[in-house]
Amino acid sequence: MSQDQLDILQRALEREKKARKAAERILEEKSRELFQTSQQIEQLLQEKSSQLQGIFENIVDAYVVMDLDGNILKFNEAATTLFGYDLDIESVNVMNLIHKDDYQYAMSSFLDLQTNGLFKNYETRVCTKSGEVKWVHVNGSLVLDNTNTPIAAQGIVRDITDQKTSKEKLIESENRLAALVLNLDSGIVLEDENRKIVLTNKKFCELFNLSAQPEDLIGMDCIAASEQNKLLFKNPKAFLERMKEINLDKKPVVGDELEMLDGKILERDYMPITIGEKSKGFLWTFTDVTLKRTYRKSLEAQKQKYYSIIANMHLGLVEVNNEDEILMINQSFSEMSGYTQDEVIGKKGSELFPVEGGSEIISQENENRKQGKSNSYEIKVKTKQGEIRYWLISGAPNYNLKGEVVGSIGIHLDITDLKTLEFQKESLLLELEKSNNELQEYAHIVSHDLKSPLRSIDALVTWIKEDNKGKLDDVSLQNFTHIEGTLEKMELLISDILNYSSIGAFQIEKVEVNTDLLVKEIIKIIYVPEHISIAINKTLPTLKGDKVKLQQLFQNLISNAIKFINKPEGEIVIDVTSKDGFYEFSISDNGIGIEKQFHDKIFKIFHALNKSKDSTGIGLSIVKKIIDQHEGKIWLESELNKGTTFFFTLKK
Amino acid sequence: MSNLLKILLIEDDAIEVMKLNRAITSLELKHQIIEANNGEEALEILKKKEILPDIILLDLNMPKINGIEFLGILKEDDTLKYIPTIILTTSNNQKDLLSCYKIGVAGYVLKPLKYEEYVSKIESLLSYWSINELIKV
Repeated sequence: MSQDQLDILQRALEREKKARKAAERILEEKSRELFQTSQQIEQLLQEKSSQLQGIFENIVDAYVVMDLDGNILKFNEAATTLFGYDLDIESVNVMNLIHKDDYQYAMSSFLDLQTNGLFKNYETRVCTKSGEVKWVHVNGSLVLDNTNTPIAAQGIVRDITDQKTSKEKLIESENRLAALVLNLDSGIVLEDENRKIVLTNKKFCELFNLSAQPEDLIGMDCIAASEQNKLLFKNPKAFLERMKEINLDKKPVVGDELEMLDGKILERDYMPITIGEKSKGFLWTFTDVTLKRTYRKSLEAQKQKYYSIIANMHLGLVEVNNEDEILMINQSFSEMSGYTQDEVIGKKGSELFPVEGGSEIISQENENRKQGKSNSYEIKVKTKQGEIRYWLISGAPNYNLKGEVVGSIGIHLDITDLKTLEFQKESLLLELEKSNNELQEYAHIVSHDLKSPLRSIDALVTWIKEDNKGKLDDVSLQNFTHIEGTLEKMELLISDILNYSSIGAFQIEKVEVNTDLLVKEIIKIIYVPEHISIAINKTLPTLKGDKVKLQQLFQNLISNAIKFINKPEGEIVIDVTSKDGFYEFSISDNGIGIEKQFHDKIFKIFHALNKSKDSTGIGLSIVKKIIDQHEGKIWLESELNKGTTFFFTLKK
Repeated sequence: MSNLLKILLIEDDAIEVMKLNRAITSLELKHQIIEANNGEEALEILKKKEILPDIILLDLNMPKINGIEFLGILKEDDTLKYIPTIILTTSNNQKDLLSCYKIGVAGYVLKPLKYEEYVSKIESLLSYWSINELIKV
């Protein structure tokens, strides 16, 4: 090995030593530097960590960390407050927090988290420990370890319950407003600056006979539309021009009236809408006022109608206030009273017209009106000409709009003519009653006066016979017997006439009459020859009637039947049938019978068919009269020599 | 034992008067009949108060004062009002009957048509009153 070589090696080694030393020095420096840096980093990390820790713990929003099984690892204070769970004493799983209705949504969000490592703006409902439901907004992300393996999930949860409710309320009220506008009873068009439709509603479509839906019209040009719509109006040109004018002015217009061809009347309002300085468009409102207008018109017509009725009716009309001062009279009243309206206005009705206590009646009636009572009454009055008339007044209280009585209205009918007739009738009735009584009296006196001589004759005849006993021949005695018979006939005739005239004289007094008892009583009283039997087929009814007269009725008919029986065995049958509202009685005999031609005649007075000793021909007339008085009917069926049946009806 | 009666008959019809007299005679009664042709005459007799009758038989239909008016006057008098008054009439007028009893009568007898019947009625009437105790003034 050469020195050179050695020197070279020596020098190389020297260089290497130096280089190594330099490198060591650099390494030392670098490692010192590195140490310093790592010291710094650790410090920084510590700083940042505590900073972060502080942020998470102190942020307003809730901060939640959970493991991948959903077990909550960490709640910051806000989270504890929000959810109400204290992690120090209890464990909570995210499943406890999720609202059952939002479960699906939570699951899908969790999937997002797993796939993308994070999710944002997840809005859901949660349940707190106390069971309260809250709306929350969640931003979440996965927590990875240094090998990028997810080990947990963290999320920031914001309570948005209040925000959510107010938003819902806003939507709700917007919906309401929209519905309101849509269903408004006025047609609405909101147009923008360029006269394009922004909003309209159903009523508008309806008013302008458009088949389109309100939303279809949005964006339509109003100028073009009004060109089309003008045809609907009675005066299309005016409609267009007024619209243009309004549009140019851009000032509010209220209550323009438009008449449509189909008779509708629209009211048009125009309203520019500005928010601040900014124009937001123009609102046209169309309201159907047809009904209102026609209502007013028909009211007017009605008023006119009643006015002319009042003015032209033949009844006098007077309106007075609460002080009885006349406010108004109609033409008829003016004619009735003789006064003109000017002469009576302001005067008191109760002082002006009545006579004989009429004022008091009117005052009393006015009190009734104040209590809201209506009434009719008659008064005697004096007209302006001094004529006495009778008025029938129908008064009713007059109310104002508040329902207070402000006076009364009286309808006056002149009943003087009626009244006169009434008075005449009354006096006629009195007169009639008087003359009836007089007639009755007269009949009694006449019958007495007629009967008295009969008694005298009978006495005288008897005395002649007594005084001449044995001196008179048979013919004379026979004639005396004839005289006595004639006297009896005369007596009967007078009695019957008196009876007949008495029947109509008095009002019949209706009482309950048991006809069964009545008839049986009669049969006991009257003379029934041995060969005649009387049968009552049914129990006779009890009905309303005049007892005395009904007795006479049955007695006359039964006696009649007895009288005209010519058979060796007489049969009289009394029967009754109950009919609708009345009883039909029948009394039949097997006597001589009556020829058809006489059936009507026998009820007439003095028409006895067989003038005999005990028949005056008045009996059946009396029967007829009694039946008439009881509003019944009488008729007969008869066959000559077989017998007769009398039928008569009496009301139940 | 029956009393003999003093009977005041107020009757305007002469035959009626005869009838009563003859009836009493034929009945062989001893009653005394005082006749008055009408109300005034009867009142004159009664006013004297010399002979007061035991009973009065009164006809209703008479001229001037009729029976009912007469009855009214009689009842006004404190003494005369006690004399039993029997109406003897042909009138069966309900009204008369009512007013008579209202004023106060002792009886109301209808005159029958037959004289024989009349006699028998009078007989009953008088025999009834003759057994009655009467106020003697």
